[in-house]
Amino acid sequence: MNYHLELMVKKLLGTDIAERNFAIFPDDTFLVSYPRSGNTWTRFLIANLVYPRLDVSFKNIERLIPDTSSQSSRALRRTPRPRIIKTHEYFDHRCRKIICIVRDPRDVALSYYDFQRKYRHIEDGYPLVKYVDDFVSGRLNSKDWGTWGENVASWFYTRGKSKDFLLLRYEDMMEDPVRELARTATFLGIDSDPARIEQAVQRSSADRMREMEKSQSADWVATKNHRTDIPFVRVAKSGGWKEKLPEECVAQIEAAWGETMLALGYELVSATMHPMIGVRSEKQVVR
Amino acid sequence: MIAKLGASARLLLGHDPAGRNLRTFPDDTFIVSYPKSGNTWTRFLVASLIHNEEPMTFLKADKVIPSIDTQSRRYFKNLPRPRVIKSHFPFDPTYKRVIYIVRDPKDVAVSQYHYQIKRKVLQDGHPIDEWIVRYVAGETCPYGSWGENVGSWLAARQHDPGLLLLRYEDMIRQTDAELIKIARFLGIDPTPERIQWAVSQSTADRMRKLEQKEAGQWESTKDTRKDKFFVRSAKAGEGKATLSPVAIAQIESAWGPLMRWLGYETASAGGADSAEQDRSFLETVLEYPAR
Repeated sequence: MNYHLELMVKKLLGTDIAERNFAIFPDDTFLVSYPRSGNTWTRFLIANLVYPRLDVSFKNIERLIPDTSSQSSRALRRTPRPRIIKTHEYFDHRCRKIICIVRDPRDVALSYYDFQRKYRHIEDGYPLVKYVDDFVSGRLNSKDWGTWGENVASWFYTRGKSKDFLLLRYEDMMEDPVRELARTATFLGIDSDPARIEQAVQRSSADRMREMEKSQSADWVATKNHRTDIPFVRVAKSGGWKEKLPEECVAQIEAAWGETMLALGYELVSATMHPMIGVRSEKQVVR
Repeated sequence: MIAKLGASARLLLGHDPAGRNLRTFPDDTFIVSYPKSGNTWTRFLVASLIHNEEPMTFLKADKVIPSIDTQSRRYFKNLPRPRVIKSHFPFDPTYKRVIYIVRDPKDVAVSQYHYQIKRKVLQDGHPIDEWIVRYVAGETCPYGSWGENVGSWLAARQHDPGLLLLRYEDMIRQTDAELIKIARFLGIDPTPERIQWAVSQSTADRMRKLEQKEAGQWESTKDTRKDKFFVRSAKAGEGKATLSPVAIAQIESAWGPLMRWLGYETASAGGADSAEQDRSFLETVLEYPAR
């Protein structure tokens, strides 16, 4: 009852967290991804691209590219159009224009593990093997977003072929951020002037973001009141799973989502693959 | 402001329609489909399977297997578990056990078009070819397009034992066999008497007669035209027989690979061929690698 009373007051004031309950406009663009897939980096890249004259930081990022899981429905209503909105939600058919960021789920698992320690959802000594089991079966705090496979597949299949859908792989962005941001600029209808792209990439570098996190973590909704000994901006690398993720965890992830992983161009290494997939593991990338 | 106040008061009292705000439990079973795909018939079958003591009606089916968009959160809270719930939503990760009913989108189009005439959304004789353009774009229905709705569920859950995928066409052709699958999924012993009873309660003829009696009170028919019926053809293949080649081509160009994966006939490739079935779902529906 108290919860609903609070929600009622918040709804009246418009301070309720937007989540899926806010008005969507036809000119909105959504930056969607499963958590820990490079969404924050991409937000900075895009914000720096769209607002080259602003000093984009953790202090203003929520105003420039608001997050549906931390901003109120009123804040979203007040964001100037055309809006770019960040979300971790699973497929929502009301969203037309989509930039979808995907990352190898084997790396997502490792990043999420650290993130949930940062948020004190799990203790430091929580066994990684157990954590990956939670991750695959959807027993995490973020269960309302679905599992990695559910969330990614729900967007990728329904919109993968649409001209209003841009797929960005975190790994490709790591490899050549300028190239990927130029694609993004074209998709957004923004002048992809090389100098402008280059500037946005530099302003969003991992080093620069780490520096900003150090001085601004208390100012950003996603980091304040959470452990500061574990950084939000983590390794900013891909492929860490090859060294750090136990073989059984790799096998579990590949058995659960191998088909989607292959379709997104992630090679499978484990012998126990899903029967539907057979033995096709040559690199195939969707573009 | 007044409207907002009203909505907030309903929220406080739990009288707001549950929708996406329903609190779900792992033992809930959802009967999910795109609208006009046989959901009401399936509800009749399942409701009579669970409650086999007295004849099934539209109003009773609504109480036993309530719709997520019409019943309040409070109603769902008081419903004894394990609950069976009707929904038309695209993929929702909180639904752990799902009976998903799929129907040929050509037939769904014809059915939805007629239902919109019944609901006075469209006028008699509205040009269907023009309407089909909006249907394919997902603009005629609040639950996404057919391809988005079906695809989001299959993409997320196709290998999950918590998903039972049924085709309306199979249910028409072999109702008993499909209902036995449902019974097993629900943990109900499919004795011949029980299956027989449920099927007999849910025949199109019986449902048509009931509709005449209950149309004025039932949520989906009240305030709609009385000269058009909710229980309509109860057949498969009407789309192919009545839609124009242009309309059919639009539907197939939007969802051809998904239709073929589900075994629906398309002009470009007839019926389900084994090659399609051998490819993975994502490969098939994305026609991937791109040709």
